[in-house]
Amino acid sequence: MEDERSFSDICGGRLALQRRYYSPSCREFCLSCPRLSLRSLTAVTCTVWLAAYGLFTLCENSMILSAAIFITLLGLLGYLHFVKIDQETLLIIDSLGIQMTSSYASGKESTTFIEMDKVKDIVINEAIYMQKVIYYLCILLKDPVEPHGISQVVPVFQSAKPRLDCLIEVYRSCQEILAHQKATSTSP
Amino acid sequence: GSAVLFLVHSAPGKMVENSLLPGRAIYDFVLLLSSQFGFILYLVWAFIPESWLNSLGLTYWPQKHWTVALPLHLLITIVIGYVLLFRINMMSTPSLNSICTITDNYAKNQQPKKYQEVAIPALRVISTSEVNQMLFLAAKDLYTKN
Repeated sequence: MEDERSFSDICGGRLALQRRYYSPSCREFCLSCPRLSLRSLTAVTCTVWLAAYGLFTLCENSMILSAAIFITLLGLLGYLHFVKIDQETLLIIDSLGIQMTSSYASGKESTTFIEMDKVKDIVINEAIYMQKVIYYLCILLKDPVEPHGISQVVPVFQSAKPRLDCLIEVYRSCQEILAHQKATSTSP
Repeated sequence: GSAVLFLVHSAPGKMVENSLLPGRAIYDFVLLLSSQFGFILYLVWAFIPESWLNSLGLTYWPQKHWTVALPLHLLITIVIGYVLLFRINMMSTPSLNSICTITDNYAKNQQPKKYQEVAIPALRVISTSEVNQMLFLAAKDLYTKN
């Protein structure tokens, strides 16, 4: 079963949340960030080239213009490959674990997998980020030494940063699966 | 974060009007005189030429270069102080994946207290998981309005 809704992130941009229910014990949430806008791309390119042209009129060295073109191209490629994340996916499988995938604009994908034994809980936490207080979803990992302790906090949907209404949807679905998993793990 | 209950205790204290004490008026006057004297001394040092001061017999002054340099240094220090304070604040904020945002030593080491029927429940740090369940699982329509 597939379901798509649109939400907004903390800056006001539009996000699309796609929920896929593969089975009662396996769910996937896919958040798509807004694409790189043509307006910001042209704005950055124009400022860089105007600055380079200004330097060229001061120095009369034509290497500055070709260097500006190179910098713009390399900067764009580096941004698309290392910085711009198009889609973030959270896949929860009941007895197996949680997998988080980030796919970049250049096609690169980076995946993180956490076993279900290490997961203590998934919570919505509030924290200070830059000049705002934001809600974000995070996975709490168990401490091997202490039974009720928390060893690590793994934030999820780091670059999409959805608002609370989207987080509540994902939180409720995850809690259903975790409750189901705790019930089946404690029963003999 | 966790939910902590604060008991506000307000005691009626005695308010003493600071401006009525005679000692404060004397301090104010001394401060006024000394600051005015210091300012006039600074102006004398800056504007009156070396030769006139030497003829009066006052020869041991710092260089006049410092009359311009010191206020400038002070101004730049204040401006950098603004920027530095802002940056230090941002750097000492815990990042999103740090454990400080979830729990701390006090919350880990707190002793569970017995529940008494009549008295107000004791202060306790409630874990993030419990708070989340109360806020987001129980109250269904509280947060879904945009």
